Amino acid sequence: MERKIKLLIVDDEEKFLDSIARRLEMREFEVTKATNGTDAINYAKNMKFDLALLDLKMPGMDGKEVLEILKREHKFIEVIMLTGHGSLESAVECTKLGAYGYLPKPYEFEKLIEVLKDAYEARLKKKFEADQLRLEKLSQLALGRSPIDILREMRKLDDEDQ
Amino acid sequence: MDDNKKSDIVNKDTLQTERYYKGLQIKHIIRLSVTYLLPMIILIIYFQLQYTELIQESDSLHIKSIAENKSNMLDLFMNERVVNLINLIDDPKFKFPPDSALMIEYLERLRKDSDAFTDIDLFDFEGNRIAYAGPIEKFEITNYSAEKWFIKLKEGSERFIITDIYLGYRMQPHFTIAVNRNVGENFYVLRATLEPTKIYNFLISYEKTSDTYISIINSDGYYQLVNPSFGQLLALSPYNVNSDEKLGLSYSYINNKKQKFAYCWLSAVDWIVIVQKANGTDSFWHINSLTIVFSLILLIIMFIVIVLRSKQIVESQRQKDEAEEEKAIVELQLEHASKLASVGELAAGIAHEINNPLAIVASEVGLIKDLIDPQFNQQPDIKDIIPHLDNIHDAAFRCRDITRKLLSFVRHSDVQLKEYNLNDIIDDLVDSFFEREFTVSNIRIIKNYANDLPKITTDANQIKQVLLNLLNNAKDAITPPGTITITTGKKGDYVFFAIKDTGCGITKDQIDKIFLPFYTTKEVGKGTGLGLSVSYGIVRNFGGDIEVESIPGKGSTFRVYLPIKLF
Repeated sequence: MERKIKLLIVDDEEKFLDSIARRLEMREFEVTKATNGTDAINYAKNMKFDLALLDLKMPGMDGKEVLEILKREHKFIEVIMLTGHGSLESAVECTKLGAYGYLPKPYEFEKLIEVLKDAYEARLKKKFEADQLRLEKLSQLALGRSPIDILREMRKLDDEDQ
Repeated sequence: MDDNKKSDIVNKDTLQTERYYKGLQIKHIIRLSVTYLLPMIILIIYFQLQYTELIQESDSLHIKSIAENKSNMLDLFMNERVVNLINLIDDPKFKFPPDSALMIEYLERLRKDSDAFTDIDLFDFEGNRIAYAGPIEKFEITNYSAEKWFIKLKEGSERFIITDIYLGYRMQPHFTIAVNRNVGENFYVLRATLEPTKIYNFLISYEKTSDTYISIINSDGYYQLVNPSFGQLLALSPYNVNSDEKLGLSYSYINNKKQKFAYCWLSAVDWIVIVQKANGTDSFWHINSLTIVFSLILLIIMFIVIVLRSKQIVESQRQKDEAEEEKAIVELQLEHASKLASVGELAAGIAHEINNPLAIVASEVGLIKDLIDPQFNQQPDIKDIIPHLDNIHDAAFRCRDITRKLLSFVRHSDVQLKEYNLNDIIDDLVDSFFEREFTVSNIRIIKNYANDLPKITTDANQIKQVLLNLLNNAKDAITPPGTITITTGKKGDYVFFAIKDTGCGITKDQIDKIFLPFYTTKEVGKGTGLGLSVSYGIVRNFGGDIEVESIPGKGSTFRVYLPIKLF
């Protein structure tokens, strides 16, 4: 059986959060809900999310800040922004900050699924490439080094992944 | 049909404004006339009256002096004639009774002194004519003892007698002078008949050179000498003369017309010289007609000037009114434009407010579909679905509330003055448009309301527009997180609200310009530069004011004062 995609949804509209989460759960997503940015970042520390769906405008920490922190702390997470504002400027800004996609509210559910899947694929590809790179690095490292050195270098690479 | 109606209304409107301006012009004409013309007319009348009085006084003096002069001359004439006769009869050489040749010689002697003498008679003691010289050849009466003059002379109380004018045998006006003489036991009377032509001519010639009528009446008021074009000889004259004064002024009434005349009694005979202005009271208008014409022309010119001036005043007033009306229309349009623009600025926030519930709707609908989709094998109970339907319902009404509030604000509504508590107006707007917007933008709102605020009469919609502009500006000035403090209170006859932000502030250069239309510091396309200028206009219209304090980098405070009593 295929591994469930681990998804974090952050929105201050609880009703929205509940319904979207249930629908995604029906489609083999493993969903974690957060109603504000602080909770979201805390959850992300404990669980390795594949993807995050972020509302842009939220009381307290807003979507952009959460995006920045997530991208900084988690190398392979892909983030999709959701917003009711839907202005081009904020879309560009979020993309620069590393968001994979940008969806204006209300959106078509099929479109969301499509974007989520694309994002997941992109994440897999990125992970795969990173793994390849790691293998290459490892093979280079292995040449003419002591086993202790090799282990130390491998731990370094792991830290980078995190 | 509609167009006709419309043009009818327009015509009626222009008709009414025309009538208004016409009335205004008449008012100005009356006002200017009262200010300028009335004093002038009063002055003209005053001087005219003064002048007339002067003229009449001088007229009076003039005719009085003529009367006195004539009277003196006539007296002189009469006295001379009496003396002529007395000299003749007192002459020691006078023969009693003279023969007719001698009588003719005596007449000739008299005529040398005055050709007014026409004939002479000599009467004896018994009143019989004893001698005659003159044009009459045969007498019907020869005894005159019963005649008044004869009796008077016989009594001896008078030396001479002058009779009134009478029509003699030849129907010519005559008068007689009779003198007496006692010769020893005998008593004689010498009587001369005189023609008044001399005097008459004298009077007429004087009349011709002046504008006066001169006539002579006796003590009973009958004409003795008169210009035939003026009165009839021996007829009753209209003059009523005071007998106490020798010389005087009086008034006659001919055909109900008051007429001034001067009179002077003669001393030699009970006659009165009457002098009257030929054109009488008409002199007032006649003499001054030139002045009157001149005054009238002056008045007319002044009136024309006044009419033109009033027209000019009304025209400038009209232009002013029209300009003001135009300004008012433009202001109204500007106000509406600004309202729309400020709503436009709000639109982003509003979109968020609407899109969020819409997202809920879409999501809930999708969920319900999933639940009943056999593919997911959920087999939902109806109770599981109802909460989701409720969520959809709530979301739909959230949207409706927002659009309704937005529309009620943007709609071109008439000014509706009502009593409001300022706090309620602010709450209504902030809760509708800003509460969530500020929460999600990390702007804290602190409401610092006074509880005992008196109610004010105002138009809530316009005050909301001011608030909206100020809150939009405050929001734009803040880089989140920040705080907007809304304070209300009372100061003297005003209530106020203050919007204080922790934004970027306004520099000294900018602060002079912020109320100017189209001045904006916002990015192109974000601000119209109308918000503050229109807000200021609204507040001024209500008799209020806006105060600004700002520290660059720290924030600004806009304080809006509104009078508690609107008028």
